[in-house]
Amino acid sequence: MTTSRRDFIKTAGLAAGVVALPVALPSWISDVDAAESAVAAAVDKNALADIALSTARKLGVTYADIRINRYRTESISTREKQVLNVSRSQSFGFGVRVLFKGTWGFASSRDVTPEEVRRITRQAVEIARANSVYQRKRITMVPAPKVVASWKSGFEKDPFDVAIDDKIQFLLKLNERALKTSGVSFVNSSMGFVNEQKFYASTDGSRIDQYIIRANPNFNVTAVNRVNGDFQSRSSLGGPQGMGYEYMEKYPWLTEAERAGEEAVAKLKAKPIEPGKYDLVLHPSHLWLTIHESVGHPTELDRSLWWEADYAGTSFLTRDKIGKLQFASKMVNFIADRTQPGALATIGYDDEGVPGQRWHLVKDGLFVDWQTTRDLALMSPQKKSYGCLHADSWGSISFPRMPNVSLQPSAGNTSMDDLVAGVEKGILIYGDGSYSIDQQRYNFQFGGQTFWEIKNGKVGQMLRDVAYQSRTTDFWNSCDGLGGQASYEIGGSFNDGKGEPGQSNAVSHGCPVARFRQVNVLNTAAK
Amino acid sequence: MLLSEAEARALTQKVLGYVKADDATVSVGSENYSHLRFAANAFTTSGARENTTVGVTVWIDKKRGSSSTNEIDDDSLRAMVAQAQDLARISPVDREYMETLGPQVYNPVNGYAEATANISLHDRARAINDVIANCEKAGVIGAGFHQARGSASASATKNGNFAYERSSLVSLSTTARTPDGDSSGYFLRNHFDVAKLDVKRVSREAIRKALESRKPRTLEPGVYPAILEPQAVADLLGFFAFSFDARNADEGRSPFSLAGGKTKVGQQIFDERINIYSDPWNPELPGSQSAQSGIPAQRVQLVRNGVLKNLTYSRFWAKQKDKQPTPGPVNNIMESSMSPVSLEDMIRATDRGILLGRFWYIRGVDPRSALQTGLTRDGIWYVEKGKIQYPVKNFRFNQSLMQLLAPGNVDMIGVPERVGSAEGQGGSASLLPALKVKEFHFTSQSEAV
Repeated sequence: MTTSRRDFIKTAGLAAGVVALPVALPSWISDVDAAESAVAAAVDKNALADIALSTARKLGVTYADIRINRYRTESISTREKQVLNVSRSQSFGFGVRVLFKGTWGFASSRDVTPEEVRRITRQAVEIARANSVYQRKRITMVPAPKVVASWKSGFEKDPFDVAIDDKIQFLLKLNERALKTSGVSFVNSSMGFVNEQKFYASTDGSRIDQYIIRANPNFNVTAVNRVNGDFQSRSSLGGPQGMGYEYMEKYPWLTEAERAGEEAVAKLKAKPIEPGKYDLVLHPSHLWLTIHESVGHPTELDRSLWWEADYAGTSFLTRDKIGKLQFASKMVNFIADRTQPGALATIGYDDEGVPGQRWHLVKDGLFVDWQTTRDLALMSPQKKSYGCLHADSWGSISFPRMPNVSLQPSAGNTSMDDLVAGVEKGILIYGDGSYSIDQQRYNFQFGGQTFWEIKNGKVGQMLRDVAYQSRTTDFWNSCDGLGGQASYEIGGSFNDGKGEPGQSNAVSHGCPVARFRQVNVLNTAAK
Repeated sequence: MLLSEAEARALTQKVLGYVKADDATVSVGSENYSHLRFAANAFTTSGARENTTVGVTVWIDKKRGSSSTNEIDDDSLRAMVAQAQDLARISPVDREYMETLGPQVYNPVNGYAEATANISLHDRARAINDVIANCEKAGVIGAGFHQARGSASASATKNGNFAYERSSLVSLSTTARTPDGDSSGYFLRNHFDVAKLDVKRVSREAIRKALESRKPRTLEPGVYPAILEPQAVADLLGFFAFSFDARNADEGRSPFSLAGGKTKVGQQIFDERINIYSDPWNPELPGSQSAQSGIPAQRVQLVRNGVLKNLTYSRFWAKQKDKQPTPGPVNNIMESSMSPVSLEDMIRATDRGILLGRFWYIRGVDPRSALQTGLTRDGIWYVEKGKIQYPVKNFRFNQSLMQLLAPGNVDMIGVPERVGSAEGQGGSASLLPALKVKEFHFTSQSEAV
């Protein structure tokens, strides 16, 4: 990868500082286009919260919260020289969650009025009451301190203030650069932005306003060989970030698009991989996804308790393994962090008023802790919530979601070249590709975007049709080399799915370049 | 409350009244949604949502802009239209612009049941309590998800078309696990009519699969004959009818592409008994009355007797290629042109093979052959000499869908059943049969249960 890209990812997070703002009506609200936000701005959220919480209390709940949220999205997509779509959407509404006789109830509506808040609060209690008749195990929450605060994510340039025309021209220029290489047949590019304006109030006395911006640019270049019917694609290595429009301006998108065009064409002629065992050197643009699937998900406590058994699955990490299981080699440390600047799951407070925190999940290779929420905390060793509750909409019930989970770099200045130098027969992989992992997070298989042969300590020719398959603890225990801070980058998923009904979560994973020994590699080209 | 036809018409006309652009299409959707989830033999979350969303796409000098909102007071709707028009003015010309449709005649489908859209909280709580009680009685730990949705959707164009329809869906999935975590079973079914959702069957099958897959043995990965229950077929092929895009094939980036810019239309690509089509009026699987851009939906045959008959053309691509735009697909149906074979007969006819009920975490690996990877989950058995012999541990597979259905690989085809993709949580459905195939590629072992 180019130095410019590396430098960007390394420093971008640091530049995006977190701004703490005073309580009262957040000043940024007034900056939002007035016509677009008229309804939301006219709503007295505190007064509505009073109605919901007092109604719920009268009906006998032990806990209640109301979230009054407004979501704005913008999406622009193009292919080659044309614009496919430009759209904006907004969604405003509220949801009331109540705990009644140890049973959750939730109801929500788009009609944000005092009468509707009363009706919906009663409906939430009615749902909880109907189910509580048959409830077998009462749900218990750990307490959380009262919080009155406002918080704004660390973006520099609000993408909703940037002219659409500039964004369109940017993408068309990017397409032009990708198409520069002879043999490139197609390019699709897009950028999407999300703005969440969240208000939370609870029977704990908390009142929290948050304003969050996230960016999700992407492109994909395809080269088709018309003679033999073969085709190959190369997607962007730059992923979504918890940043504003500055991400579009500072990241080297155009050079990357040009390089992607060259690599898509080169992939058509690349050498097919010979299946077998290889040492792998994995670039952060690839490794973030392996971390997400094999470390992020199994350390979710709700999975270990079988609360996700019917959908996402359980976890091979059972509660008796805490402090005992050598999850990874000793050099490996994974930190969960909802305070990391520039990361997608960074928040001021979660959706039940618990502040964002930073803690070890894996320390010196040992599995040491879980991701927790207030209704899971009593089943964890620390008996505390780390602030992992999240709902993807005003109309969704909040439940445990993944914080940013990142692999820590080594203390020295180990570089990718240093790691490659220690490999006789291996593969260097960039970018995330096909991915699949079992429901307990043991067995996984990952592809990538580009693959390079490593022979006798040097990177050589391009390879194709590569995927590696391994078992989580075997893989992480085979890690024997980590890059230093200079190689650290943040990747992430904009739409991580979990739960029933399915919800989406945006989450980042930082990591340095890393080396793994003797991993099983397949050739994915079906004959 | 779902929007009535009169309310939806008034709302779309109001929005169109604000439009100053050359052309426009307005869409309205309202929904009542509720769920009850359980795990570890107790209720976990339960909730409800009511929402109405209005969206508009406009074209000014063939330049396009879209906007949507769920704030449906007059000022917000005006602001939404103004925003779409602003976006259109600054956008480049939409080279794929097609004039919106004038008045169309729709043949209605019957996919709505009032009792589903307004499900009784108490009946649901009792029904799921019974599922949990069955789990407790069988000594297994149950988890599952019941959801019910009523939807009303409408669309209208500046050129005078208006369409309105209601639909409903209820689904229940259940996972049963033995307390030691040694085995697991799963079953999912859905319907548009809550009276036709067989709750007892869902819990019975999930529990049976868990109990019958205890103490699984290790079997070497490799290529095995396999019997895929309808759920497993839905997990692999639940959206298959929607992947026959002509443009991708013409552009050389589809498993239906041929060298030299040609396509496989007219070729025998699948076993000669296989038929794949979409039929909006199938009584068990009603689709939408509207296909793309509001074209009245029609039956669309994609594969007949294994021959690729049609690819699907968008209105734009049809114009480029001098074809008719495809009035579908609006659902996904696969059936045999011969007499279907029961699952029991498939097992009886198996000398040596694998029986499996479900796949999980399926992702594309190579689009050229529609190669998919994923895992088996929640019950897999070794079959020999016409009998289920013993449960086996899960596998990862790498399997091309083109190879799966290819001539020579399909052995037997079952009775199509209404079944939804498990990864899709039963939120949609297909009519798909069990399949017995000669070769299925299991590539590694998975310890996961």
